[in-house]
Amino acid sequence: MEDDRRETYNMEDKYLICEDSLEGIFTGIYEAYALREGHQHLHIQIGEEENLRLFAVYLHILPDPVKTDKVAQTLKRRLGEHVYHTLCRAAASCHLDKGEAVYRTVVDALTAGSGRRVMENLKNPYVARCFELARFTANEAHYETEFIRFQELAAKEPGENGVLFSRIGPKNNVVPFVMPHFADRLSIENFMVYDEHRKLFGVHPAKEEWYLVSAGEDFVLKEFALSEKEEGYQELFRAFHRAIGIKSRENKKLQRQMCAYRYQDYMTEFEQKR
Amino acid sequence: MELRIAPQMAVMDKLKILGEAAKYDVSCSSSGSSRKNDGQGIGNTVAAGLCHSFAADGRCISLLKILFTNECIYDCRYCVNRCSNDVPRASFTPDEVCELTMEFYRRNYIEGLFLSSGILYSPDYTMELLCETVHRLRTVHRFQGYIHVKAIPGADPLLIQRTGYLVDRMSVNLEMATAEGLRAIAPNKHRKNILKPMRQIQNGITENKNEITLYKHAPHFCEAGQSTQMVIGALPESDYQIMSVAENLYDKFSLKRVYYSAFVNVNEDRELPALAGGPPLLREHRLYQADWLLRFYGFKVDELLTEKRPNFNIAIDPKADWAVRHLECFPVEINRADYQMLLRIPGVGVKSAGRIVAARRFGNLTFEDLKKIGVVLKRALYFITCSGRMMYPTRMDENYIVQNLTYQNRMGKGEKLPFLSDGTSYRQMSLFDMDGFDDGRTAVS
Ligand code: SF4
Repeated sequence: MEDDRRETYNMEDKYLICEDSLEGIFTGIYEAYALREGHQHLHIQIGEEENLRLFAVYLHILPDPVKTDKVAQTLKRRLGEHVYHTLCRAAASCHLDKGEAVYRTVVDALTAGSGRRVMENLKNPYVARCFELARFTANEAHYETEFIRFQELAAKEPGENGVLFSRIGPKNNVVPFVMPHFADRLSIENFMVYDEHRKLFGVHPAKEEWYLVSAGEDFVLKEFALSEKEEGYQELFRAFHRAIGIKSRENKKLQRQMCAYRYQDYMTEFEQKR
Repeated sequence: MELRIAPQMAVMDKLKILGEAAKYDVSCSSSGSSRKNDGQGIGNTVAAGLCHSFAADGRCISLLKILFTNECIYDCRYCVNRCSNDVPRASFTPDEVCELTMEFYRRNYIEGLFLSSGILYSPDYTMELLCETVHRLRTVHRFQGYIHVKAIPGADPLLIQRTGYLVDRMSVNLEMATAEGLRAIAPNKHRKNILKPMRQIQNGITENKNEITLYKHAPHFCEAGQSTQMVIGALPESDYQIMSVAENLYDKFSLKRVYYSAFVNVNEDRELPALAGGPPLLREHRLYQADWLLRFYGFKVDELLTEKRPNFNIAIDPKADWAVRHLECFPVEINRADYQMLLRIPGVGVKSAGRIVAARRFGNLTFEDLKKIGVVLKRALYFITCSGRMMYPTRMDENYIVQNLTYQNRMGKGEKLPFLSDGTSYRQMSLFDMDGFDDGRTAVS
């Protein structure tokens, strides 16, 4: 006991530098526990820090699928699916303090003992942050399920349905969270959702499981040929969209509040106006 | 099936006319059904419903909301499609509606179809067309998304029943809060004819629930329940009358939703009020707020309004209005009050009340914690204590609090009144987002 305390006093803060991904963060958490130094002086940091702290130790952690899986299994088993998914959503956030927030929330749950109820412990600032980040991702994923627009690409054989393709530009990494929704809904369709910021494809072949493909940093999306009827349906939807609005109640501000420009930019019915 | 319309009319022109003609129907909700895809066709439904776009007036577009036809043998005074009006007419064919629905749905433009109609030839003839359309959509196209169909008053109950087994939601519009109002304004419609299918659908839903408990695979009948709509402001009914009717519809007819549609004098009918400032949106807004209070906050109409005080306060929302008139119930101690009482605090919504109950198990909550939980403190602070202390010293005085609550409004901040002018502009997910926290798309709190 005495020894421990002395050690803590002398110990410098250690930063585990992790990749900006679920694997990165989960591997970081694995390593943090593997160090067995307690958690007080350990931190998870995503990507390099510009201002290196004096007296701090930096450890670079490479994402590791086996360790990631171990952490995922433990979290699912001990904290339940609900908490697990909240942590995944937080880890998909665009805010880089997510690593520390997820890590400290896991510590609150597994080590401090709040367990399955951890997300209710909003008095812990890291839990509160995790909650907030997860909600931001969940909200954005929800909006994307509503606002994603598919275009039908030209089919290989005449008379067949073409692949449905959607391009989005979300702030958070939401593709993994929107794919299950469309995989169920459009089970018999071939479709793809492309996150142009992360160059990440969600791919769903008809009647099969969906998967993710990272296209790599240098990837440039090329123009696809659209199906013959595509333009026509886009025109029809734009016409419907105009017809359904009540002129005497026009309220663009409300429209923008409900559907921000950053979504409108990718949507069929708004393209022409901006 | 021969129609009176030039059959060669392009789908584009029909869609413009029949989308335009459907826009005054306020309901566009796709909530209440939860159905997975079966792998044989496209579509599923999501319990909370999804919005897919927002029109220029800020209202949610969830469904392909169209009339099958705007031909009509009736002459309702408030309606553009009344037979005495000279407007361009159009009718879809069932196949056209099916194709539009399928192709819009695949592209994720819509959550499903909302099909309404003028009365072509007769109620039976019209209902049969609607039934035929959704039947084709479900069987030929194997469409599994959301369908809402209007039940045409006066149509054969068998047709209504058949349709009910194909769709998620049916609705019959009540149109006017009172029977006299209806007689004055819609000479061809009778209260009795409206309530009859409403009752039939209600009974159908109840029986179906029993069937489903007995036989798991029994087909669903209007899984998402039924809704209705009242036109507000065309006649001098009081808010108290309107809300009492709504309460009755919820209690006695088990409706899922009542919609309130601020009257727009589209026909410039001289017998009906011409509303200088446009439709009475603020009033409509108050009615929706009160409607939420009935459905999710445990309020009764008699608590909110009385014969002597039959209209809502325009300056302040119904929940805050109730609170300032019941200051003897406040301040409420956040760390002890039960859930029902938490719900009655202005600035605390359904979601934040739930979070308070969960979070206080870990220790006493402070004002800082409440802020994180999503309580709107600038409204709540007059009504609450945390561990016995108020946030600031405040007077428990009705006028003082009302002044402070409305100060923000007068400054052009705070409550954004006309922007949230009707039920469909609340996001459908807002069932649990009422506290104005989750996404800044605020409703009442
Ligand atoms: S029945 Fe009345 S409200 Fe309905 S379309 Fe005909 S005139 Fe309009």
